[in-house]
Amino acid sequence: MIERFPYGKAPFWLLALALSSGLLLLATRQQAARAADLTLATFAVQHYSAYQRILPEFERRHHVKVGIQLVDQRALQTRLQNAMLAHTAVPDLVELIDGSIGYFTRGPLKDVGFADLTTRMAQSGYRERIVASRFSKWQSRGHLFAVPHDVHPVMLAYRADLVEQLGIRIDELETWDDFATVGARVSKDLNGDGVIDRYMIDLPAAGGWGLNVLLLQRGVELFGPRGEVSFDDPRTVDTMLWYLKQVRGPRRIATECGWGQPLAKAMSDGLALFYIAPDWRSYLLQTDVPSLSGKLKLMPLPAWEKGGRRTSVWGGTGLAITKQSRHQDLAWELLKFLYFNTNELGKRFASTNIVPPFKDAWTLPEFQAPNSFYSGQRLGAEYARLAPDTPAVWDSPYTATAEGKLSEVFLHGAQYFDAHGEQGLRQVIERELTAAQAYVQRVMSRNVLGATH
Amino acid sequence: MNTPKQYYRGAAPWLLLAPYLVVTLVFTLYPLLSAAVLAFYQTNGPASRAFVGLDNFGFLLSDPVFYRALRNTSIFALCSVFVQLPLSMGLAMLLNSGSSGWKGVFRLILFSPNLVGQIFVGILFSVLFTPRYGLINRFLHALTGWGLEQQWLGDPALVMPAIVLTALWVYVGFNMIFFLAALQGVDKSLEEAARIDGANRLQVFWNVTLPSMRHVVVFVVITSVIGSFQLFELPLALLPTSNGRGPDNSGLTVIGYLYDAAFNVGDLGLGSAVGWVVAFVILLASALQLRLTGATEET
Repeated sequence: MIERFPYGKAPFWLLALALSSGLLLLATRQQAARAADLTLATFAVQHYSAYQRILPEFERRHHVKVGIQLVDQRALQTRLQNAMLAHTAVPDLVELIDGSIGYFTRGPLKDVGFADLTTRMAQSGYRERIVASRFSKWQSRGHLFAVPHDVHPVMLAYRADLVEQLGIRIDELETWDDFATVGARVSKDLNGDGVIDRYMIDLPAAGGWGLNVLLLQRGVELFGPRGEVSFDDPRTVDTMLWYLKQVRGPRRIATECGWGQPLAKAMSDGLALFYIAPDWRSYLLQTDVPSLSGKLKLMPLPAWEKGGRRTSVWGGTGLAITKQSRHQDLAWELLKFLYFNTNELGKRFASTNIVPPFKDAWTLPEFQAPNSFYSGQRLGAEYARLAPDTPAVWDSPYTATAEGKLSEVFLHGAQYFDAHGEQGLRQVIERELTAAQAYVQRVMSRNVLGATH
Repeated sequence: MNTPKQYYRGAAPWLLLAPYLVVTLVFTLYPLLSAAVLAFYQTNGPASRAFVGLDNFGFLLSDPVFYRALRNTSIFALCSVFVQLPLSMGLAMLLNSGSSGWKGVFRLILFSPNLVGQIFVGILFSVLFTPRYGLINRFLHALTGWGLEQQWLGDPALVMPAIVLTALWVYVGFNMIFFLAALQGVDKSLEEAARIDGANRLQVFWNVTLPSMRHVVVFVVITSVIGSFQLFELPLALLPTSNGRGPDNSGLTVIGYLYDAAFNVGDLGLGSAVGWVVAFVILLASALQLRLTGATEET
């Protein structure tokens, strides 16, 4: 047969290889698609393991097969965007990360690729049982497109052993100004080599996540509920002025300890005493620096003014049902099973430290259990106490643009501060902030289709 | 009338070419035309588009952030040509001059960073650049008293040098291979003749060696400039918390700007317009290089 093929042996084998691999791909693809009635995609390994553990129960109850896919977050976002653009198959349910839904909700509402869950959520009776501020991230023009997975309240983790040694009383750190005063006392060069060896807190010198967390605590958001830009605010100026003084200059009390191994080393060395710790990060610290077990504790964030908010928020995940799903009701059942299943939420908290927004779960024993890593503190109860006070965060497709401009304002302020000190700094920041907000508004005003609801 | 055998022979070239033609048509020509059309539209989310004429180009040309990205990318391209390539050439000459059996080992060592990919290199260097504990600050501190707490990836003035340093580690060895191959093809008798005529080492290199490998040099310079204008993964991996932008957009490249417009904001039209502007800039830069090196004057 090969000899009779008119173009020779090599083209024959190439053709055979192409045909067989193509058929194999086609066959396995069909098989995979047939295997599941519902498909769920997630980017978080911990969620994936937790869901895998409980999905058999859902399958038994509903006599269906659920497929679950673990995909890297960036790949999941890109694939989902492309699949929706090309109208190819998408999962029935998708977990989305903080900041990613804006892309999908930028156009007219009819074009949003996710099912509108507003009515379902209202009718289910769950809405009131969930921390209200957490819906903001997943809404557009009053419509809810995903259900929040977590609260991510922020506390401060601190080296309790060192803090005690230095005579710092936690109850005296009521405001950020109190915190800065104590910080100025303890941040110093210990061995006389001209390099500061102990800082009060781990904060990035370029602003970034540190500034964001503090701005949110103070009630400053990049965008308001109607998607309007809202960071040009006197509170932003005040926060930047305070922050600049703490992270720059010879009297700074903060350094950036980084992530992963550098952070673990900095924490072990006691380079900084306090660390910004949303619930998810408290778990990272637990796993990354096991040698500090029993030496760390958590405290609420100092407030901006006495009696003010003692927490902030950092990050978030939501679960959405795609419009393309042919089993919307079943997908909704699965969503409820995964997010409002109190039997499971306790176990999930114990293995992640992540506080769910479903308030019923907070009374579970796992939330009251002492955590030996954090010196026996009842971690769940501490975070849950702050959870209802977490600020709302409204997402926008222009979040990255706004963050970039805000970073620009901060760094221009920093350059001015480094060169001229505090004199005239407020005016510089105010001017830059107004220009930055105008820029974001100009970019947003180009959106000719977004207004068509 | 054609016999079946003659028919097969007549159709054979087309049949053999067909897969290539189909792939080129579907994956190159169609997207190219589609992108050209898209540049005059604004897309909003996944499903809507509106004709906006030249508005995308008008916006780009008046956007200070785009100019910042263009400036960053141009600085990187200049560093590639004037820092990276001379280093590659120097290493190639070093390897070409000796006769040691270690040559192959050094060649492999210098080329190997290229095998691991930009994302891995970016992650690795983000650790090396860590203030206080990072090896780079430690090394420089021991050598020159450089500040231990220098924020390579947090200080806008240091972000581009950090990206250039990282790229040097990856690409110096890669370009060295081209230069080494070209050096090995240089006619030794010409160099010998120049030396007999009294030329010193520098004169031999400048007047004999370099002109003999001119085609390779022009090729490497042009591909380096094109590669520089496509820089994307390295800043993204080095500066993950700001999506590769860096503080004050100091790490933002034109492709980073394109990605942001098309895939974070969701305006594929603006993304396409950026793509065309970048293509035009690359075309201009390449034409200029060909003109300056006189490569087009030869047959």
